[in-house]
Amino acid sequence: MVGTKVKILLWQLVILATAFCIWEWGYDLRKVAALKPFVPSILDPYFISKPSAIWTSFLKLGCLSDPAGFIACFDKNPNNLWLATVVTLKNMWWGFVSGSVSGVLAGLILGRSDYLAKICEPYIVAMNSIPRIALVPLIILMFGLGDMSKVVTAWIVVFFVVFFNTFEGTRSVDRDQIAAARLLGASELTVLRTVVIPSALAWVFASLTPAVSFALIGVIVGEFIGAERGLGKLIIEAEARANAAEMMVAIFIMMIVGIMLAFVVRRVQAYLLRWQPQFERQV
Amino acid sequence: MSATAGQGRPAVPESAASRTRISVEGLDKLFKTADGELLAVDNVSFEVKQGEFVALLGPSGCGKSTILNMVAGLLPKTKGAIRIDGDDVVHGKINPKVGYVFQRDTVFPWRTVEANIGYGLEIAGMAKAERAAKVKRAIELAGLAGFDKNFPRMLSGGMRQRVALMRTLIMEPEVLLMDEPFGALDTHTKLEMHKTLLEIWERERQTVLFVTHDLGEALTLSSRIILLSARPGRLKEDFAVTFARPRDAVSLRETAEFGELYSHIWHSLGEEFRRTKAE
Ligand SMILES: Nc1ncnc2c1ncn2[C@@H]1O[C@H](COP(=O)(O)OP(=O)(O)OP(=O)(O)O)[C@@H](O)[C@H]1O
Ligand SMILES: [Mg+2]
Repeated sequence: MVGTKVKILLWQLVILATAFCIWEWGYDLRKVAALKPFVPSILDPYFISKPSAIWTSFLKLGCLSDPAGFIACFDKNPNNLWLATVVTLKNMWWGFVSGSVSGVLAGLILGRSDYLAKICEPYIVAMNSIPRIALVPLIILMFGLGDMSKVVTAWIVVFFVVFFNTFEGTRSVDRDQIAAARLLGASELTVLRTVVIPSALAWVFASLTPAVSFALIGVIVGEFIGAERGLGKLIIEAEARANAAEMMVAIFIMMIVGIMLAFVVRRVQAYLLRWQPQFERQV
Repeated sequence: MSATAGQGRPAVPESAASRTRISVEGLDKLFKTADGELLAVDNVSFEVKQGEFVALLGPSGCGKSTILNMVAGLLPKTKGAIRIDGDDVVHGKINPKVGYVFQRDTVFPWRTVEANIGYGLEIAGMAKAERAAKVKRAIELAGLAGFDKNFPRMLSGGMRQRVALMRTLIMEPEVLLMDEPFGALDTHTKLEMHKTLLEIWERERQTVLFVTHDLGEALTLSSRIILLSARPGRLKEDFAVTFARPRDAVSLRETAEFGELYSHIWHSLGEEFRRTKAE
């Protein structure tokens, strides 16, 4: 058991190190005439930068190498790496929370009421067939370049994912379990609280991990199209200067944020769904 | 006694003087399906008196669950009358006097054994300490001691069915409806469950309507057997089961009376099984 774990970790490290080496020095192999045809032009640092340059850019954007000192640099640049990260995270968080909460509520209500579900069905199908990203310019028009438009974009992306899963989860609750609860004295509301919600929770959580990524996508796309601050804005600015290293810095930060949030969701999920066999050992 | 009772032995309830708890009169159930109509229950009438243990016996698909679900108010009836203590059973309205044990496993997988058994008391708002004491007793009675904090997935089928049984019994229902509660269990576990159930019932004497297609089970547990025909379910015969109580689920099966009544009803039941197969 332990042996396998160590081996897996070892392989992962080897792959990581190899990838970094190719990234850092791969393009230099072009200088050797014989190897030139084997080095694809995509390895050009102009496109993908290289780890050392990314690190330098990180220090620069993060005000960690400014001769004037951290505070002065931080104050001078309103979209410095830290502020941009905080802004993007904050917008993403509110988009995620509002999207999940409203998605769960709508899913539960429509899932429990055939009547309402039938009434709403065509509208939901129609709304769902619009690519959400196509709405972003409209949302920015409505809510301005500030944070609100990013929250709304993230909300709309998250809402549908969570809604559909909650709806399906609510629909697939075992009817006999509901009947059993009713026969043990549960009111409609108690059934919802003690049977429908716990039973649909697995479905809800199945949508929350992707919802985290979707919230981030929503905010970043919003920032691409029009924003004053944020990591997306940082990327767009770097693109204007053809600065791949700075773009990569923002991308790495997003990756780290994404990993951390997915981890948190997973822990909560493992705790709340500890009655399911696949989460048995993770609590 | 129901007028349509059959030609077998005269059906005499164990305590003839007691009042009628469940009464079913001229009950029909017609299912409307995609490919037409299906008559599942046809003009069924019977009564269950206070403290009787009545088995509803019939081949698979003859409408036993359908009848029980209508009695519980879980399914609308097509025709006829169902009364519990003289009150009409209304579809969708749950009678707090009635307890129900399902044919399928309906234990809540997200609740531990103790939380499952305590479910009804918990939602009724019983204080935690009082509830815990009752649950503890129920767990011991069901032979589940030590599994209090386990989730159902760690239990065997028989243990889960005990949880379902205790979850219902802890509410002290006066009328207990059971739909093949031990149908999915192996013979040995089934006998164990019969012991547990007999022990509890012989002490508490709830009014029980117990659905099964297992003749041995019906004979072991019940004080009366109502035999249904193959689909559509019609009342075929009504047998009194007068073996002395307390009964021992195992040794009872070895007695001569048991064998005699078994083969008598088996003959009648056999016809219905053959009819089911022939379809
Ligand atoms: N919701 C339904 N819609 C249509 N037909 C149904 C429905 N429920 C049951 N039936 C049919 O009614 C008949 C009786 O079903 P029921 O479940 O009552 O049988 P049963 O006697 O309980 O059988 P088993 O011993 O296998 O549980 C069956 O033929 C079944 O196909
Ligand atoms: Mg059945």
